[in-house]
Amino acid sequence: MEWKQYRGSLIGGLVVISLFAILIYNNVDWRACLEPEAEGFVLSCVAENTSAWYARYGVVMRQATVSGLLIGGVYGLVALGLTMIFGVLEIINFAHGALMTVGLYITFILFDTFGIDPYLGLFITVPLLFFIGLIVYRVVIHPARDAPHHNQLLLTLGLTLLIENLLLMVFTATPRAIRLDYGRGETNILGLFVMQFPIRIWRAVITFDKLLAFLGALVVTAILYTIIQKTDLGKAIRATAQERDGAALVGINTDWINMITFGIGTACVGAAAALVLPFRPADPTAGNLFNITAFIIVVLGGMGNAIGALLGGLIIGLTQELTGIFFPGSPDLIGVFVIFILVLLFRPQGLLGQAA
Amino acid sequence: MSKILRIVGLMALLMMSFGVMVTTAQDDMMVVRIGGIHPLTGFLANDGLGMDQAIQMAVDEINEMGLVPGITLEYVSADSTGAADVGQQEAERLITEEGISVIIGTFQSAVTGNVATVAAREGVPLIIDVAAASDITERGRDADGNQWTFRIQPNADVMGTFAAQYAVAMTSAGGGELGSVAYLHEGVTDYGRSVYGAFEAEAANIGLDIVETVGYEFGADYTTDVTIVGASAPDAVMVTGYYGDGLTIAQNMEAIALDVPFVMGVAQGTYDQDQFVADAGSLAECFFNSNYRWDNLNPHALAVRARYAERFGEGMTSADVLAWQATYIAADAIRRAGSGDTAAIQAALLETDYEYHIMPYDGSITFVDGETPNAIPVVMQVQDGAVKQVWPPEIAESEPRFCTSWGG
Repeated sequence: MEWKQYRGSLIGGLVVISLFAILIYNNVDWRACLEPEAEGFVLSCVAENTSAWYARYGVVMRQATVSGLLIGGVYGLVALGLTMIFGVLEIINFAHGALMTVGLYITFILFDTFGIDPYLGLFITVPLLFFIGLIVYRVVIHPARDAPHHNQLLLTLGLTLLIENLLLMVFTATPRAIRLDYGRGETNILGLFVMQFPIRIWRAVITFDKLLAFLGALVVTAILYTIIQKTDLGKAIRATAQERDGAALVGINTDWINMITFGIGTACVGAAAALVLPFRPADPTAGNLFNITAFIIVVLGGMGNAIGALLGGLIIGLTQELTGIFFPGSPDLIGVFVIFILVLLFRPQGLLGQAA
Repeated sequence: MSKILRIVGLMALLMMSFGVMVTTAQDDMMVVRIGGIHPLTGFLANDGLGMDQAIQMAVDEINEMGLVPGITLEYVSADSTGAADVGQQEAERLITEEGISVIIGTFQSAVTGNVATVAAREGVPLIIDVAAASDITERGRDADGNQWTFRIQPNADVMGTFAAQYAVAMTSAGGGELGSVAYLHEGVTDYGRSVYGAFEAEAANIGLDIVETVGYEFGADYTTDVTIVGASAPDAVMVTGYYGDGLTIAQNMEAIALDVPFVMGVAQGTYDQDQFVADAGSLAECFFNSNYRWDNLNPHALAVRARYAERFGEGMTSADVLAWQATYIAADAIRRAGSGDTAAIQAALLETDYEYHIMPYDGSITFVDGETPNAIPVVMQVQDGAVKQVWPPEIAESEPRFCTSWGG
C-alpha cells in the first residue's frame, strides 16, 4: 500500500492540527462569533479573536516553551541516571530522587559553610555522589542482587524513607535556598564577554541559573554518552546491559560494572542537584518531584536508553508547561500522566526502545 | 495612656496569678493530657515542627506558673505526616490510647477536617491553631449539633474577604484606585481553593475585577504561571500558597520583571516570614501578605517570641504563635472545667472569654459556632529588610509602599 509511507507525517499533521483546535477551543472567545450580532464571517471572526488572544498570550506560549525545554534538560539528566541503573542492574531505583536531595544539601553546605560556588561545587558534588552511589550499592543493593524484583523495589523505597528522615533530623524541614550574587543584569562570562541576564526572546525570559542548568545537563549527558559509546568501560557497561552472562564469560567483572554504573547513575543526580539549587530550595523531600518525573521519562524514552532519556526529558518538560495553556485550569501533570498511559498502552518499549 | 495602663494591669494580674499558683504543692496534682497533631515529617514539617515546639513551650510555661490549679498538663505530640488519613488515625490513637482531653492542630485544612470529624464523634474538643478552610467548624459538630471544634485564627472566608477589602482600601488610602487583580494560588489543596473562593466572592461584591486566575501545582519553576498573570496586566497580583512555592514565585517574578507594583499574599506562607527576608535578601522588599498574625504592638507578644527564639534558636512564626495561643485557650478551659473531663472542657470552651491573648483582635477571644468572631488578618510588608504591620491603620507600624524590588 502506497499510503503507508505517508502514515507518519499524516498522523503528525493530525496531531498538530488537533492541538491547534484544542488551543483555540479552550482559550479563544469563539462563542462570541456565533452570536447573531457578530460581524463578518464566523471563520474570519475566530481568526481575528485568535490573533487578539495571541497578541496578549503569545508571550505565555513562548515562556512555557522556553521554561519547559530548560527544565526538561535537567529532567533528562536525572532520568539518564535512572535509566542507566535500570539498563544494567535491572533495578528500579526508587531512592534516585532521595539521592538527588542529598546532592542538593551537599551543594547547599558547600555554598553556605565553605562559600563554594554551586557550579564550581560540581567538581566536588559529582565525585562525592559517585562514591555515595558505590557505598549504597555495596551496602544496600548488592546483598539483594538475587532477591525478587518487588523486594529490591521495597528496599530502595525504604532507603528513600531513611534518607528523607535522616535529612529531616539533621537539617530540619526548613527549605534551604541560596541566592547567587551574579547572573542578574550585566554578567561577565568567564572574563570573555559580557551578557545581559535574563536573556529575553520576544519577551520570554531565560534566567542565568536556568540556562546554566540546561547547558550543564546537556554537557554532562554528552560526556556520559561519549563514555558509554567510545570507551572500554562503556563497552563493558553496554555488554553487561545486553547479555550479563555473555559479558561475564568474556571476562567482564559484571559485579564491578554494576557498582560503577550505580555510581555513575547517582553522580548524574549529583550534577542535577548542583545545577538546580540556585533556583529550587532544598528540603528533605525536594527530590520527589524529580523522581516521579524521571520515572515517566524513562518509560517514555525507553528503559536503558540514554538519548531517549534526554528526548523524554524535553518532551515531559514541555508537556508539563504547556498543559496549563492548552487546558486552562487543569493541573500541569495531567498532560504528563496522559502521555505516560498512552505510551504504556501503545508503545510500551518507549519512543526509542526496541520492541521486546 | 490607657493602653499602657491596660498592659500594666494585665502584667500585674498575670503576676498575681503566678504568685498564687507557685505555692501550690506539686505532689498531688492531677494530670491532664493535651494532644497535638501537626505535620512533623513530610513537605510541611518545617511548619509543623515549629508549632509542636510552641505547644510544648506553652505547656511548660503553664505548668511552671501553675496557671491551672491542681492540674499538671502533659503534652502528647503526634505526626500527621501532612496526610489526612494519617492525621485521622493519629487523632483516634490520641483519644483511645493516650487518653488526651483536648486536641490542638493541625496546620492543614484537609487534615483538620478529618480530625474534627473524629473529635466530634468521640466527644473530644479540638482547638484549631491553624487551618483555614471555612467548613471545618461545621464538620466539628456531633449528631446532636454540639460544637466540638473551636478555631482562633480567621478562617478562609474571613481572610479572603478581608484581603479583597484591604487591597482596595490600601490603594485608595495611597491615592490610587484598584481596578483589577490577577490571582495565583496553589490549586492542589482545600486551602488554596477556599481562600481564593472567598476572595473571589468578596471581589464580586465590591466590584473588583479578577482578570486572571492560575491554580498552580507544586513544581520546580513557576515562570510560565507568573507570565500568564503578567500578561493580563493587572493592578495587583494576589498569591496564596506555601513557603517553598512562594519563594520560587518571588524569584520568577523578578526574572520576568513583573510590571505590577502591588504583589500581596493572601493567607500566604512566605511573604510575612523573617526567613523570606533571610533567603531572598533584597528581593523580599515590597512584598505584602494579608495573614493571621500576632499583634506586634503588644509587648507581651514580643516577650513570647523572644522566649521562643531563646529556647529553640529560631524565629517564632505566626503559625507557632497561634499554636502557643491555642494551648493557653485550652489551659484556660481546663482550669474552668477543673478536670480532664472532655464534656466539661467543651462546655468551658463554649463559655470562653479570654482577654489575655496576643492576637491583633479587638477584645476577648470568644467562640460563636466554633469561630472567633473578631479574628481578623493583618497586612504585613517587607520594608527595609523587616516585616512590618501596615494595615489596618489602627495597628500599622508603617505605611504601605507600592513598589517592587526589581523596580517594576
